[in-house]
Amino acid sequence: MLDGLGYFATALVDLFTPGTIFNVAWATLLGIAVGMLPGLTATLGLALLTTLTFKLAAGDAVLILVSTYVGAIYGGSRSAILLNIPGTPANAATSLDGFPLARSGRAGEAMGIATAGSFLGTLVGMLALAIFAPLLAEAALGFQSYEFFWLAVFGVVISGRLTGMDDPLKGWIAGFLGLLVAMVGQEGIYAYARFSYGSTDLAGGFGLLPVLVGVFGFAEILWVMKNPAYESVKNAAGSVIPRIGKVLKHWVTIIRSGVIGTFMGLVPGVGEDMGAWVSYAVARNTSKHKEEYGKGSVEGLMSAETGNSAAVPGAIIPVLTLAIPGSAPAAVLLAALFIHGVRPGPLIMIENPSFIFEVTAMIFYASVAILTFGLLLTKPMLLVLRVSHIRLMPVIFVLCTIGAFAIASRVFDVWVMLGFGVLGFGLRLLGFPMAPLVLGVVLGPILDVNLRRGLVLSDGSLEPFFTRPISLVLWVLILFTFMLGSAAFGKGLKRMGDRLLGRRRERS
Amino acid sequence: MRKDLITSLVLIAFGAGVVAEALRMPRYDHLGINPYTVPGIVPGFLGAILAVFGVLMLARTAIAWRRHEAVPATAADDEPGSVPRVLFTLGLTLGYGGLLVGNLPFWLATGLFVWAFLLVFEWRPSYAAGAGTAALVRVGGTALLEAVLVSAAVTFVFQRVFLVTLP
Repeated sequence: MLDGLGYFATALVDLFTPGTIFNVAWATLLGIAVGMLPGLTATLGLALLTTLTFKLAAGDAVLILVSTYVGAIYGGSRSAILLNIPGTPANAATSLDGFPLARSGRAGEAMGIATAGSFLGTLVGMLALAIFAPLLAEAALGFQSYEFFWLAVFGVVISGRLTGMDDPLKGWIAGFLGLLVAMVGQEGIYAYARFSYGSTDLAGGFGLLPVLVGVFGFAEILWVMKNPAYESVKNAAGSVIPRIGKVLKHWVTIIRSGVIGTFMGLVPGVGEDMGAWVSYAVARNTSKHKEEYGKGSVEGLMSAETGNSAAVPGAIIPVLTLAIPGSAPAAVLLAALFIHGVRPGPLIMIENPSFIFEVTAMIFYASVAILTFGLLLTKPMLLVLRVSHIRLMPVIFVLCTIGAFAIASRVFDVWVMLGFGVLGFGLRLLGFPMAPLVLGVVLGPILDVNLRRGLVLSDGSLEPFFTRPISLVLWVLILFTFMLGSAAFGKGLKRMGDRLLGRRRERS
Repeated sequence: MRKDLITSLVLIAFGAGVVAEALRMPRYDHLGINPYTVPGIVPGFLGAILAVFGVLMLARTAIAWRRHEAVPATAADDEPGSVPRVLFTLGLTLGYGGLLVGNLPFWLATGLFVWAFLLVFEWRPSYAAGAGTAALVRVGGTALLEAVLVSAAVTFVFQRVFLVTLP
């Protein structure tokens, strides 16, 4: 613990240089702009920046990506409040109370509350990253192929369940489709090129970044072009700087949403949107003023923004300790770490013990940047929202094309981006969530290699997959998640709960 | 409901196809390898699971159909004109990414794409009726200006500042 504090303090001092401050400032500001603009999500912003920072030193590149990530999730709140369009999917819950507040002439106050919530949420998540990441990395040292196999399945199943709330089956289908996408190309044991049909491009497999840019960039462009009209509040009346007393009045909501957001970020492939939704739902259920929710509740807005921002550091925890992303933007961050030669995973605290605390310090500086920009640059930021969608979309598509091409310099990757964009758009029209698909693509190779390696180690026996303690916990959780997704089991559980409650009521 | 029915059938066929392909993958018997490590094992399982999900979806749709229930719709409501807008966007983007990029110099392909995109989406039927020739020239001119600026800026920033290879 004290070692960690020392590493964190050293990282804070080491990073406090003009070059670093400059990089944090522009990257956070760019992230805010990316988050504000519908059509540019945090995932796409990070994917494009991975291309741009390709030639930079690893430390600078990670700093820029982390700052952009923090900025983008916060920036999305501006368009949610002023346009009623969440700039990123993570800000959907923000618009429920943010837009009614803005429409009633309290746009300035809403932006101030969102800024304070995002800042404090990021700090809660950052503390969790510093405290729990080293512990998780240590625990993960005992993981073998069996545990990694189940962790991959668990990621896809839980992500499918939570992102496909209305219809878990569609979430699971998207997740398993993602796993299958990852099977294309040479496999890791015999280098056999699966589903390649003699094509050398297919034998190389689908790159994660072109797939991500397609699903979160090109598909988003098609989505925005489908319905480009929107209502907006362009007059940000009122002071943006919130009164400290008014913010601190909600301290319980802030801490609770921060913890929930961090936890949702930590769960593989679930991320910021669920961090916001679950925090919002819990805040509403426990509120004394439930009737204000959806009509302009400051508490509701605070819970959503604290929840999604806390999920950012939360989603980075499994990236660093297990090499499994907590969210879609975190998947890009993971890919970028590999590109820059940083090896995340259980060995990180042995090979590079200061790295987790360096990332923590980067998040701290980025959170200070969102607080500063959020409170001081309100008017210039409004200009970003005035950019016409139609003028912006071709530019974003050009950036998507470059982003897909530049990492490997293959025109094939541009085609992959196009193909997955059309597929993503079609799946979205049919109501399939995209996050499990992407997580599946990341986890596919982990599942493949670890299942086969585990079977070799156990000489074909399935026993260790089911009896080792952590494996046991994971497969029971998977089974429970599947059962929760089935309507019959859910009804049975509800009936049992009602009966128990009824009995308790009778007794009292 | 019909969409789910078609999706489930496609999924079953796709899953079955994947299983068939996985069975055709080599088993390296002559190398005496551990049979649990053959390349087809994981894709085969995944294909089978997808087919099972397809069957579940089909069963769910069929039950809802029999009870005349509406399956919850998750897709957003469409505005009028959304289909042609999506088709035009698809045509332009696929034409640029699939044909122009790699066959024309990047700056030219990008300029042409941005210009065509803005022209198509800022076009109003009144221009064709001759009522707004000046407006048409203005739209075309502004689009051209943006196309030149975007093409020049993107090429310069990526190639010269960030040293990224362009298509």
